[in-house]
Amino acid sequence: MQDSKQDKIIVEHVYKSFNVYMDKANTIKEKLLFFKRNKKQKREVLKDINLTIKEGEAVALIGVNGSGKSTLLKLMTKIIYPNKGKITTKGKLTSLLELGAGFHPDFSGRENIYFNASIFGLTKKEIDERIDQIIEFSELGQYIDNPVRTYSSGMYMRLAFSVAINVNAEILLIDEILSVGDQHFQEKCFKKMNELKKEGKTMVFVTHSMESVKQLCTRAIWLYDGQIRMDGATDKVVEEYIRVTT
Amino acid sequence: MEAIKNIYKYRELLKTNVKKEIRGKYKNSILGVLWSFLNPLLQIIVYAFVFQVILKNPKEHYVVFLCAGLIPWNFFATSLSRGAFTFIENGNIIKKVYFPREIMPISVVTSEAINFVISTIIILGFAIGEGLGISGYIIFYPLILIIQYIFTLSVTFMVSSITVYVRDLQHLIGVALQLLFYATPIVFASDVIPDGMKWIVEINPMAYIINGYRDIFYNQVMPDFILLGAMFLISIALCVISYIIFHKLQKGFAEEL
Repeated sequence: MQDSKQDKIIVEHVYKSFNVYMDKANTIKEKLLFFKRNKKQKREVLKDINLTIKEGEAVALIGVNGSGKSTLLKLMTKIIYPNKGKITTKGKLTSLLELGAGFHPDFSGRENIYFNASIFGLTKKEIDERIDQIIEFSELGQYIDNPVRTYSSGMYMRLAFSVAINVNAEILLIDEILSVGDQHFQEKCFKKMNELKKEGKTMVFVTHSMESVKQLCTRAIWLYDGQIRMDGATDKVVEEYIRVTT
Repeated sequence: MEAIKNIYKYRELLKTNVKKEIRGKYKNSILGVLWSFLNPLLQIIVYAFVFQVILKNPKEHYVVFLCAGLIPWNFFATSLSRGAFTFIENGNIIKKVYFPREIMPISVVTSEAINFVISTIIILGFAIGEGLGISGYIIFYPLILIIQYIFTLSVTFMVSSITVYVRDLQHLIGVALQLLFYATPIVFASDVIPDGMKWIVEINPMAYIINGYRDIFYNQVMPDFILLGAMFLISIALCVISYIIFHKLQKGFAEEL
């Protein structure tokens, strides 16, 4: 890889485990009465993960269900924190873990753009500058001033995606959402993401769609049972992954 | 310092959130935001009726006396009881998007502070209506407001983040607030408390804040600056401590919610 490029995401010796409660006691009463029932199991989801993602890279995290891909992505967004190790990210970061997280159903599409973009840390002025671009990209047209609860799931998705992709983040983290939307909009998203890639934005995807991995990513990381099994050029990793899993 | 910088960066989120809190609270009701004004007014009428008409409280201008205590108390109590739920209510966003979590309790307390400032009109209205008038000491109102804001924010920080782990707290808080309500000179004056129980009011920070408001609105004298200054310093210290506790606890929010 090019060494002149800045490191954007640095993951150092990261461990993450979750407590899995068989039957969780939420209140003190339950904790006291059923202290036996409150058994928890520790499950290690990530074990000693080390990786560096550089500026302008588009990386795919692949692996079977439960291999820790989404957990790693959540750790990068700082929604959860590692038990051990350190994760450093540089620059403004946007994540799309679930479509329309934080949309308020009673507010209009336009108001939700403001709300959603402000969650990503934009100021009013910055949103004002981008609002037309976002509405245009979403192709919602006149519906933009209707309450979001009246939207179809496709419209919902388009709005969420348009906001996330237009907030001018340096790092974009996307979890398994490329599969939604019609063909036309999907292609548009791919085109936009390829543009962002050329602009030197860093992107990390979690996906099961090997097609989109090949189309977008230059590098793939294969997680297996909480560890990195393979890391390298997309074609090689995907080929090996398909060979082993099928 | 880092924390303040972060909040400043996300000021737009704070702003929209405060708006949402104020608008969302009385959504779908016919009178809407007017309720934030009507609610305390009706509450005062109830208390005034019970304590003045039925229990025959001899205090002069009792309604003004009551307002000056009850309305600031409402600011504190509603902040706390709504703040306790804030992370649980917003669990969906917290699990999915990163943003500084402190925005949530700060917007609850800020929206309640705005409510309080609006409701202050009620105090002024009764003061004028009762013929008591408004004194020049009202210029110290913002000062007491800031102290109360910092104090309320610190308690809300602590309660809201602990509630995520110990859900019992949200049930306990209602009773605790009721107890504290009677441990604070709101419906009665500090001087009617028997000597043996005076210490309760003396260790109660809210008592000093309420007495401060009462000095400027009801007694119309210079508030006790030594006491208020001490309260200010205590509040700042408490705010730092509760922020540190909050910061430690917030790391696990997404997993606990």
